[in-house]
Amino acid sequence: MIALVDVNNCYVSCERLFDPSLIGKPTVVLSNNDGCVVARSAEAKALGIQMGDPWFKIAADARRWGLQRRSSNYPLYADLSQRTMSLLARYAQAQEIYSIDECFLTPPPGHTRELLTWGRQLRRVVARNVGLPVSVGIAPTKTLAKLATEAAKKIPATGGVVHWENTPPGFWDRLMDTLPVTEVWGVAARTARRLAAQGITTVAELRDADPVRIRDRFSVVLMRTVLELNAVPAIPVEEETATKQQILVSRSFPEPIKDPALIAEAVADFAQRAARRLRKGDQEAARLTVFAATSPHRPGPDHHPSAHLRLPAPTHEPGVLAAAARRALEPHLVHGIPYMRAGVMCLELTDTGAAAPLPGTVPTTAPIGSLIDAVNTRFGTGTVGLGRSATSAPRPWDNHQAALSPGYTTDWNALRTVS
Amino acid sequence: MRVECVFYPVGMTHPLPVQAARPTLVQAVLLRVPAGFPSPAQDSFDDGRIDLNDVLIRDVSSTFILRVTGDSMEGVGIYDGDEVLVDRSLTPRDGDVVIAVVDGDFTIKTLQIHHQQVVLHPENPAYPDVVVGGLSELVVWGVVVHSIRHLRPVGRSA
Repeated sequence: MIALVDVNNCYVSCERLFDPSLIGKPTVVLSNNDGCVVARSAEAKALGIQMGDPWFKIAADARRWGLQRRSSNYPLYADLSQRTMSLLARYAQAQEIYSIDECFLTPPPGHTRELLTWGRQLRRVVARNVGLPVSVGIAPTKTLAKLATEAAKKIPATGGVVHWENTPPGFWDRLMDTLPVTEVWGVAARTARRLAAQGITTVAELRDADPVRIRDRFSVVLMRTVLELNAVPAIPVEEETATKQQILVSRSFPEPIKDPALIAEAVADFAQRAARRLRKGDQEAARLTVFAATSPHRPGPDHHPSAHLRLPAPTHEPGVLAAAARRALEPHLVHGIPYMRAGVMCLELTDTGAAAPLPGTVPTTAPIGSLIDAVNTRFGTGTVGLGRSATSAPRPWDNHQAALSPGYTTDWNALRTVS
Repeated sequence: MRVECVFYPVGMTHPLPVQAARPTLVQAVLLRVPAGFPSPAQDSFDDGRIDLNDVLIRDVSSTFILRVTGDSMEGVGIYDGDEVLVDRSLTPRDGDVVIAVVDGDFTIKTLQIHHQQVVLHPENPAYPDVVVGGLSELVVWGVVVHSIRHLRPVGRSA
């Protein structure tokens, strides 16, 4: 048996933990640059607000609805997520952290009977110790656990916990008959369209499809999904979190940037962020992809320049990566084109020091990455950096975050106050 | 300290004599070798220095730090600007200093439970008690387990 634990409306729930005045009010959390809705409270969902709705489309009604909004406070969400995950791990034999707000768990040994009790315990302990509401679905496979969690969320009578085997007779048949295939874990809209051409539109129809035919016409991955819908475990709980294969730092700009020199400065800044993440994971990158792009939603020319390069040696040094990123991309940029996005991707990651330097490639400058980390950890992000990555003046690629809550758990100077 | 120089042929992990007659790639490795007697203290230092996180935080995942404003808790030595360590995993008991949610905001008070009555009691006679109907109507956000008072602020917390 496998449990999926999912934090309800995760980002909104995180905001509410430190601002209880939001409880009961329709609340949304917006993406970087306050562009789109990335999380909705139940009250906001009831107003018909969809995931991905652009803020400017709902802003006019926000006041009338009493809609509360917050900019995304990722440091806060990441901290509360880590707390939740480490807490849940204590109540399980194995844990696979699937996303910031979801993990799969296998029950602890000797705990195979009272699984509904176990699920309720998970829910209770996260609510008490961390303060976030979670839904729990328990089923023989990961795919069914996902469905069970959705049922736990949508049916209040479940109390937020659904155990596959503790449901009324015919419950799953009825549910699978009505749910579209897109409700199945791993079935994207594109696959759903191809399935529809085969006459498969509901979860039940996919469950009853011939797995071998599905493998031949679609993929082994979708065949596993069919098996899992039939309660045959085909996707294991993977405890080992694979080491990161790539690190991407990219941003949409609040306003178009037409000056190649500014884009170059932006990617130099992003490269330093990527370098910091590399050092945090004790990794080095051997290859770099740097890109900029215009927006498909705006009038004007389309331009998507990118550059790929191999570094002389695997590195996580901010100076080396920033210089490489800027030098690689700048020649491909055209002055006057309104770029809306840029990014840096680090590839071919290896553990620090895994690749022994070739004789003669000993770096000529002393490493400064760890020193920069130490200073920024102690005095705040952006205290020191290369180029404009350390200026306090707003840069044209910075996020607009009009409704950002403080770093309650990540910034000593921004602790939640109480009187 | 003495400084020694040992030659490692490239690809080898242990030193080998280098034959000067044949050209060989070598890496120079600096080894710092302590002179004198080993410190007898080193053996008993395996547990490391006292870590306040270990001493003050029972469970990292359920402990939060909040900052107090105002003077309503001066009677128990919690002053304006102090930080409090709050453990959400504890069950609140009579006499605990707690963070409670009242009218959508946080408040720090002493929890008093007598018979059927629950009171949020400020530790300052200038403020009135807040009487809560019953325990079920009270939202306790967490139990305060320590407070931090800065007597001569230095460093990061200044």
